[in-house]
Amino acid sequence: MNKLYFILSLLVLTTVPKQVLAHGANIEYRETSAINIQAKYDDGTPMANAQVVIYAPSDRTTPWLKGTTDQSGNFTFVPDTNAENIGNWDVKVRQSGHGDITSIPVSKEAENAAITQLSSDGSDYTSAQKAVMAAAGVWGFIGTALFFSRSKSSKLD
Amino acid sequence: MHIPDGFLSPSVCITGYALTGGVTWQCLRQIDRDRDIQANIPKASLLTAAFFVASLINIPIPPTSIHLIFNGLMGALLGYYAFPAILIGLFFQAVMFQHGGMSTLGVNAIILGTPAIAAYYLFQQRHLLRDKKPFLTTILSFASGAGALLLSATMFAILLVTNISPDMDINAERTAIFISLGGYGIQAVIEGVFTVMLISFLERVKPELLNS
Repeated sequence: MNKLYFILSLLVLTTVPKQVLAHGANIEYRETSAINIQAKYDDGTPMANAQVVIYAPSDRTTPWLKGTTDQSGNFTFVPDTNAENIGNWDVKVRQSGHGDITSIPVSKEAENAAITQLSSDGSDYTSAQKAVMAAAGVWGFIGTALFFSRSKSSKLD
Repeated sequence: MHIPDGFLSPSVCITGYALTGGVTWQCLRQIDRDRDIQANIPKASLLTAAFFVASLINIPIPPTSIHLIFNGLMGALLGYYAFPAILIGLFFQAVMFQHGGMSTLGVNAIILGTPAIAAYYLFQQRHLLRDKKPFLTTILSFASGAGALLLSATMFAILLVTNISPDMDINAERTAIFISLGGYGIQAVIEGVFTVMLISFLERVKPELLNS
Protein backbone atom coordinates (compact mmCIF):
# COMPACT_ATOMS: atom_id res chain seq x y z
CA MET A 1 0.00 0.00 0.00
CA ASN A 2 1.06 3.45 -0.40
CA LYS A 3 1.74 6.08 2.04
CA LEU A 4 1.23 9.67 1.36
CA TYR A 5 3.17 12.41 2.90
CA PHE A 6 1.29 15.59 3.04
CA ILE A 7 3.13 18.76 3.42
CA LEU A 8 1.05 21.75 4.26
CA SER A 9 2.99 24.76 3.32
CA LEU A 10 2.42 28.39 2.79
CA LEU A 11 3.05 29.54 -0.71
CA VAL A 12 3.04 33.08 -1.86
CA LEU A 13 0.83 33.13 -4.83
CA THR A 14 -0.31 35.15 -7.72
CA THR A 15 0.44 38.50 -8.93
CA VAL A 16 -2.90 39.31 -10.37
CA PRO A 17 -2.93 42.03 -13.00
CA LYS A 18 -6.33 43.43 -12.49
CA GLN A 19 -6.62 45.91 -15.28
CA VAL A 20 -4.31 46.91 -18.05
CA LEU A 21 -4.69 50.54 -19.02
CA ALA A 22 -3.10 52.27 -21.96
CA HIS A 23 0.32 52.84 -20.53
CA GLY A 24 0.07 52.17 -16.88
CA ALA A 25 0.12 48.83 -15.18
CA ASN A 26 -1.30 47.93 -11.88
CA ILE A 27 -0.17 44.93 -10.00
CA GLU A 28 -2.12 43.64 -7.10
CA TYR A 29 -1.12 40.77 -5.03
CA ARG A 30 -2.44 38.79 -2.17
CA GLU A 31 -1.08 36.01 -0.11
CA THR A 32 -2.98 32.78 0.02
CA SER A 33 -2.09 29.49 1.45
CA ALA A 34 -1.90 26.50 -0.77
CA ILE A 35 -1.71 22.88 0.11
CA ASN A 36 1.04 20.86 -1.40
CA ILE A 37 0.77 17.11 -1.23
CA GLN A 38 3.36 14.57 -2.11
CA ALA A 39 2.31 11.03 -2.82
CA LYS A 40 4.83 8.26 -2.38
CA TYR A 41 4.81 4.52 -2.37
CA ASP A 42 5.77 2.57 0.71
CA ASP A 43 9.36 2.30 -0.43
CA GLY A 44 9.67 6.02 -1.02
CA THR A 45 9.31 6.12 -4.79
CA PRO A 46 7.02 8.98 -5.82
CA MET A 47 3.66 8.23 -7.37
CA ALA A 48 4.09 9.95 -10.73
CA ASN A 49 1.00 10.86 -12.77
CA ALA A 50 -1.37 9.49 -10.15
CA GLN A 51 -4.93 10.75 -10.15
CA VAL A 52 -5.86 13.18 -7.42
CA VAL A 53 -9.45 13.93 -6.44
CA ILE A 54 -10.20 16.56 -3.84
CA TYR A 55 -13.45 16.94 -1.91
CA ALA A 56 -14.37 20.14 -0.11
CA PRO A 57 -15.99 19.96 3.32
CA SER A 58 -19.19 21.53 1.99
CA ASP A 59 -19.82 18.70 -0.45
CA ARG A 60 -18.19 15.38 0.20
CA THR A 61 -19.73 13.52 -2.70
CA THR A 62 -18.85 15.67 -5.71
CA PRO A 63 -15.18 16.26 -6.46
CA TRP A 64 -14.10 19.86 -5.91
CA LEU A 65 -11.01 19.46 -8.02
CA LYS A 66 -9.43 16.71 -10.09
CA GLY A 67 -5.89 16.51 -11.31
CA THR A 68 -2.77 14.40 -11.58
CA THR A 69 0.48 14.48 -9.69
CA ASP A 70 3.70 15.47 -11.43
CA GLN A 71 6.72 13.25 -11.98
CA SER A 72 7.82 13.58 -8.38
CA GLY A 73 4.36 12.87 -6.97
CA ASN A 74 3.59 16.49 -6.09
CA PHE A 75 0.25 18.20 -6.40
CA THR A 76 -0.65 21.68 -5.20
CA PHE A 77 -4.04 23.24 -4.78
CA VAL A 78 -5.46 26.35 -3.15
CA PRO A 79 -8.46 25.54 -0.98
CA ASP A 80 -11.05 28.28 -0.82
CA THR A 81 -11.52 29.42 2.74
CA ASN A 82 -15.20 30.29 2.57
CA ALA A 83 -17.06 29.71 5.77
CA GLU A 84 -18.67 26.53 4.50
CA ASN A 85 -15.33 25.11 3.46
CA ILE A 86 -13.65 25.33 6.84
CA GLY A 87 -12.95 21.84 8.01
CA ASN A 88 -11.36 18.71 6.68
CA TRP A 89 -10.61 18.51 3.00
CA ASP A 90 -10.45 14.97 1.71
CA VAL A 91 -7.73 14.18 -0.76
CA LYS A 92 -7.79 10.91 -2.64
CA VAL A 93 -4.83 9.66 -4.67
CA ARG A 94 -5.12 6.62 -6.90
CA GLN A 95 -2.90 4.76 -9.30
CA SER A 96 -3.61 1.30 -10.66
CA GLY A 97 -5.12 -0.06 -7.52
CA HIS A 98 -2.74 1.72 -5.20
CA GLY A 99 -3.62 4.84 -3.34
CA ASP A 100 -4.95 6.35 -0.24
CA ILE A 101 -7.33 8.91 1.12
CA THR A 102 -6.54 11.47 3.78
CA SER A 103 -8.09 14.48 5.47
CA ILE A 104 -6.35 17.83 5.65
CA PRO A 105 -7.73 20.32 8.16
CA VAL A 106 -8.14 23.81 6.71
CA SER A 107 -8.89 26.70 9.05
CA LYS A 108 -9.82 30.30 8.41
CA GLU A 109 -6.54 31.51 9.81
CA ALA A 110 -4.41 29.56 7.43
CA GLU A 111 -1.38 31.63 8.18
CA ASN A 112 0.26 29.04 10.28
CA ALA A 113 2.90 28.13 7.82
CA ALA A 114 4.17 25.28 9.86
CA ILE A 115 4.99 22.29 7.79
CA THR A 116 2.71 19.59 8.95
CA GLN A 117 3.60 16.14 7.99
CA LEU A 118 0.52 14.05 8.01
CA SER A 119 0.76 10.45 7.35
CA SER A 120 -2.46 9.35 5.81
CA ASP A 121 -2.90 6.31 7.97
CA GLY A 122 -0.73 7.03 10.95
CA SER A 123 1.70 4.35 9.92
CA ASP A 124 4.74 6.49 9.52
CA TYR A 125 7.10 3.94 10.96
CA THR A 126 10.82 4.11 10.55
CA SER A 127 12.49 1.19 8.88
CA ALA A 128 13.89 0.09 12.23
CA GLN A 129 10.38 -0.01 13.68
CA LYS A 130 9.18 -1.94 10.66
CA ALA A 131 12.03 -4.40 10.99
CA VAL A 132 11.25 -5.03 14.66
CA MET A 133 7.55 -5.44 13.89
CA ALA A 134 8.32 -7.85 11.08
CA ALA A 135 10.71 -9.77 13.30
CA ALA A 136 8.10 -9.96 16.06
CA GLY A 137 5.51 -11.24 13.60
CA VAL A 138 7.88 -13.79 12.14
CA TRP A 139 8.87 -14.97 15.58
CA GLY A 140 5.20 -15.47 16.37
CA PHE A 141 4.84 -17.79 13.37
CA ILE A 142 8.07 -19.63 14.18
CA GLY A 143 6.91 -20.00 17.76
CA THR A 144 3.67 -21.51 16.50
CA ALA A 145 5.67 -23.89 14.34
CA LEU A 146 7.86 -24.91 17.28
CA PHE A 147 4.82 -25.37 19.49
CA PHE A 148 3.17 -27.75 17.06
CA SER A 149 6.36 -29.59 16.23
CA ARG A 150 7.25 -30.44 19.81
CA SER A 151 7.79 -34.12 20.19
CA LYS A 152 5.20 -36.38 21.71
CA SER A 153 7.53 -37.36 24.58
CA SER A 154 7.98 -33.78 25.72
CA LYS A 155 4.20 -33.40 25.69
CA LEU A 156 3.95 -36.09 28.35
CA ASP A 157 6.31 -34.29 30.71
CA MET B 1 -1.75 -6.74 -5.18
CA HIS B 2 -3.43 -5.91 -1.92
CA ILE B 3 -6.53 -3.76 -2.32
CA PRO B 4 -6.53 -1.03 0.35
CA ASP B 5 -9.53 0.28 2.25
CA GLY B 6 -11.81 2.61 0.36
CA PHE B 7 -11.39 1.12 -3.10
CA LEU B 8 -14.35 -1.21 -3.12
CA SER B 9 -17.98 -0.70 -2.31
CA PRO B 10 -19.29 -2.18 0.95
CA SER B 11 -21.29 -4.81 -0.91
CA VAL B 12 -18.14 -6.11 -2.63
CA CYS B 13 -16.28 -6.16 0.70
CA ILE B 14 -19.09 -8.08 2.40
CA THR B 15 -19.28 -10.55 -0.48
CA GLY B 16 -15.51 -11.00 -0.15
CA TYR B 17 -15.82 -11.78 3.55
CA ALA B 18 -18.69 -14.20 2.89
CA LEU B 19 -16.73 -16.08 0.22
CA THR B 20 -13.63 -16.14 2.40
CA GLY B 21 -15.68 -17.53 5.26
CA GLY B 22 -17.02 -20.30 3.03
CA VAL B 23 -13.65 -21.21 1.55
CA THR B 24 -11.95 -21.15 4.97
CA TRP B 25 -14.59 -23.47 6.37
CA GLN B 26 -14.17 -25.83 3.44
CA CYS B 27 -10.38 -25.79 3.83
CA LEU B 28 -10.59 -26.43 7.57
CA ARG B 29 -12.84 -29.41 6.89
CA GLN B 30 -10.25 -30.78 4.47
CA ILE B 31 -7.51 -30.13 7.02
CA ASP B 32 -9.54 -31.94 9.65
CA ARG B 33 -9.39 -35.06 7.46
CA ASP B 34 -5.61 -34.79 7.29
CA ARG B 35 -3.97 -37.61 9.22
CA ASP B 36 -0.85 -35.66 10.01
CA ILE B 37 -2.01 -32.27 11.16
CA GLN B 38 0.74 -31.97 13.72
CA ALA B 39 3.44 -32.29 11.07
CA ASN B 40 1.78 -29.90 8.66
CA ILE B 41 0.92 -27.00 10.95
CA PRO B 42 4.60 -26.11 11.59
CA LYS B 43 5.20 -26.14 7.84
CA ALA B 44 2.17 -23.91 7.26
CA SER B 45 3.25 -21.60 10.05
CA LEU B 46 6.77 -21.16 8.68
CA LEU B 47 5.47 -20.44 5.20
CA THR B 48 3.03 -17.92 6.67
CA ALA B 49 6.06 -16.17 8.15
CA ALA B 50 7.71 -16.12 4.72
CA PHE B 51 4.52 -14.82 3.10
CA PHE B 52 4.20 -12.16 5.78
CA VAL B 53 7.68 -10.71 5.27
CA ALA B 54 7.86 -11.25 1.50
CA SER B 55 5.40 -8.39 0.99
CA LEU B 56 7.84 -5.97 2.60
CA ILE B 57 10.39 -6.55 -0.14
CA ASN B 58 9.71 -4.09 -2.93
CA ILE B 59 10.89 -4.56 -6.48
CA PRO B 60 10.50 -1.37 -8.51
CA ILE B 61 8.98 -2.13 -11.90
CA PRO B 62 7.72 1.15 -13.38
CA PRO B 63 5.15 2.56 -13.18
CA THR B 64 4.53 0.87 -9.86
CA SER B 65 6.59 -1.28 -7.61
CA ILE B 66 5.73 -4.86 -6.90
CA HIS B 67 6.30 -7.04 -3.91
CA LEU B 68 6.60 -10.77 -3.82
CA ILE B 69 3.53 -12.81 -2.94
CA PHE B 70 4.43 -16.52 -3.24
CA ASN B 71 0.83 -17.69 -3.13
CA GLY B 72 1.50 -20.35 -5.78
CA LEU B 73 4.46 -21.65 -3.79
CA MET B 74 2.32 -21.81 -0.67
CA GLY B 75 -0.42 -23.68 -2.52
CA ALA B 76 2.02 -26.21 -3.97
CA LEU B 77 3.65 -26.89 -0.61
CA LEU B 78 0.71 -26.58 1.75
CA GLY B 79 -2.41 -27.67 -0.10
CA TYR B 80 -5.52 -26.71 1.82
CA TYR B 81 -3.44 -25.19 4.60
CA ALA B 82 -2.47 -22.43 2.16
CA PHE B 83 -5.78 -20.59 2.31
CA PRO B 84 -5.95 -20.09 6.10
CA ALA B 85 -2.20 -19.37 6.08
CA ILE B 86 -2.65 -16.61 3.50
CA LEU B 87 -5.65 -15.26 5.39
CA ILE B 88 -3.61 -15.01 8.60
CA GLY B 89 -0.65 -13.48 6.77
CA LEU B 90 -2.90 -10.88 5.14
CA PHE B 91 -4.46 -10.02 8.49
CA PHE B 92 -1.06 -9.28 10.00
CA GLN B 93 0.06 -7.30 6.96
CA ALA B 94 -3.09 -5.19 7.11
CA VAL B 95 -2.89 -4.55 10.84
CA MET B 96 0.85 -3.97 11.16
CA PHE B 97 1.81 -2.34 7.88
CA GLN B 98 -1.51 -1.09 6.45
CA HIS B 99 -0.74 -3.33 3.54
CA GLY B 100 -4.22 -4.05 2.27
CA GLY B 101 -7.05 -3.14 4.59
CA MET B 102 -9.38 -4.64 7.13
CA SER B 103 -12.49 -3.99 5.04
CA THR B 104 -10.91 -5.63 2.02
CA LEU B 105 -9.35 -8.53 3.91
CA GLY B 106 -11.97 -10.96 2.60
CA VAL B 107 -11.57 -9.80 -0.99
CA ASN B 108 -7.78 -9.96 -0.76
CA ALA B 109 -7.93 -13.46 0.72
CA ILE B 110 -10.03 -14.59 -2.24
CA ILE B 111 -7.69 -12.89 -4.72
CA LEU B 112 -4.56 -14.48 -3.27
CA GLY B 113 -5.90 -17.60 -1.60
CA THR B 114 -8.04 -19.32 -4.21
CA PRO B 115 -5.22 -19.32 -6.83
CA ALA B 116 -3.08 -21.03 -4.16
CA ILE B 117 -5.61 -23.88 -3.97
CA ALA B 118 -5.62 -24.03 -7.78
CA ALA B 119 -1.82 -24.22 -7.71
CA TYR B 120 -2.08 -27.14 -5.28
CA TYR B 121 -4.31 -29.09 -7.66
CA LEU B 122 -1.99 -28.29 -10.54
CA PHE B 123 1.07 -29.37 -8.60
CA GLN B 124 -0.60 -32.63 -7.58
CA GLN B 125 -0.72 -33.60 -11.27
CA ARG B 126 2.93 -34.60 -10.97
CA HIS B 127 1.75 -37.90 -9.52
CA LEU B 128 0.09 -38.75 -12.85
CA LEU B 129 3.28 -39.93 -14.47
CA ARG B 130 5.76 -42.30 -12.94
CA ASP B 131 8.58 -41.63 -15.37
CA LYS B 132 10.26 -38.34 -16.21
CA LYS B 133 9.21 -37.10 -12.84
CA PRO B 134 11.94 -34.49 -12.27
CA PHE B 135 11.14 -32.74 -15.53
CA LEU B 136 7.41 -32.84 -14.92
CA THR B 137 7.91 -31.54 -11.39
CA THR B 138 9.94 -28.62 -12.71
CA ILE B 139 7.28 -27.70 -15.26
CA LEU B 140 4.47 -28.03 -12.75
CA SER B 141 6.23 -26.08 -10.04
CA PHE B 142 6.90 -23.23 -12.45
CA ALA B 143 3.32 -23.37 -13.69
CA SER B 144 1.88 -23.32 -10.18
CA GLY B 145 4.14 -20.49 -9.01
CA ALA B 146 3.62 -18.30 -12.06
CA GLY B 147 0.05 -19.36 -12.81
CA ALA B 148 -1.26 -18.62 -9.33
CA LEU B 149 0.22 -15.14 -9.47
CA LEU B 150 -1.23 -14.46 -12.92
CA LEU B 151 -4.62 -15.71 -11.77
CA SER B 152 -4.43 -13.38 -8.77
CA ALA B 153 -3.38 -10.47 -10.96
CA THR B 154 -6.29 -11.12 -13.31
CA MET B 155 -8.80 -11.24 -10.46
CA PHE B 156 -7.23 -8.10 -8.99
CA ALA B 157 -7.45 -6.23 -12.30
CA ILE B 158 -11.02 -7.31 -13.01
CA LEU B 159 -12.14 -6.25 -9.53
CA LEU B 160 -10.44 -2.87 -9.84
CA VAL B 161 -11.62 -2.15 -13.37
CA THR B 162 -15.21 -2.93 -12.47
CA ASN B 163 -15.00 -0.86 -9.29
CA ILE B 164 -13.34 2.36 -10.41
CA SER B 165 -14.85 5.23 -8.50
CA PRO B 166 -16.92 7.38 -10.87
CA ASP B 167 -15.06 10.45 -9.65
CA MET B 168 -11.91 9.17 -11.29
CA ASP B 169 -10.85 9.49 -14.87
CA ILE B 170 -11.97 5.99 -15.73
CA ASN B 171 -9.94 5.59 -18.90
CA ALA B 172 -6.70 6.78 -17.35
CA GLU B 173 -7.16 4.50 -14.37
CA ARG B 174 -8.04 1.56 -16.60
CA THR B 175 -4.90 2.14 -18.66
CA ALA B 176 -2.81 2.31 -15.49
CA ILE B 177 -4.28 -0.98 -14.31
CA PHE B 178 -3.56 -2.70 -17.62
CA ILE B 179 0.00 -1.37 -17.62
CA SER B 180 0.50 -2.72 -14.13
CA LEU B 181 -0.51 -6.15 -15.43
CA GLY B 182 2.73 -6.11 -17.43
CA GLY B 183 4.64 -5.72 -14.16
CA TYR B 184 2.76 -8.67 -12.73
CA GLY B 185 3.78 -10.72 -15.77
CA ILE B 186 7.43 -10.14 -14.86
CA GLN B 187 6.64 -10.92 -11.24
CA ALA B 188 4.98 -14.18 -12.31
CA VAL B 189 8.20 -15.28 -14.00
CA ILE B 190 10.24 -14.33 -10.91
CA GLU B 191 7.93 -16.26 -8.61
CA GLY B 192 7.74 -19.22 -10.98
CA VAL B 193 11.54 -19.48 -11.07
CA PHE B 194 11.73 -19.15 -7.30
CA THR B 195 9.14 -21.90 -6.88
CA VAL B 196 11.14 -24.20 -9.17
CA MET B 197 14.32 -23.49 -7.22
CA LEU B 198 12.77 -24.06 -3.81
CA ILE B 199 10.90 -27.20 -4.80
CA SER B 200 13.91 -28.80 -6.49
CA PHE B 201 15.95 -27.92 -3.41
CA LEU B 202 13.37 -29.50 -1.10
CA GLU B 203 13.15 -32.55 -3.32
CA ARG B 204 16.85 -33.18 -2.83
CA VAL B 205 17.08 -32.23 0.83
CA LYS B 206 13.75 -33.04 2.42
CA PRO B 207 11.41 -34.70 -0.10
CA GLU B 208 8.88 -35.66 2.57
CA LEU B 209 7.90 -32.00 2.83
CA LEU B 210 6.45 -32.16 -0.66
CA ASN B 211 4.07 -35.01 0.07
CA SER B 212 1.23 -33.07 1.49
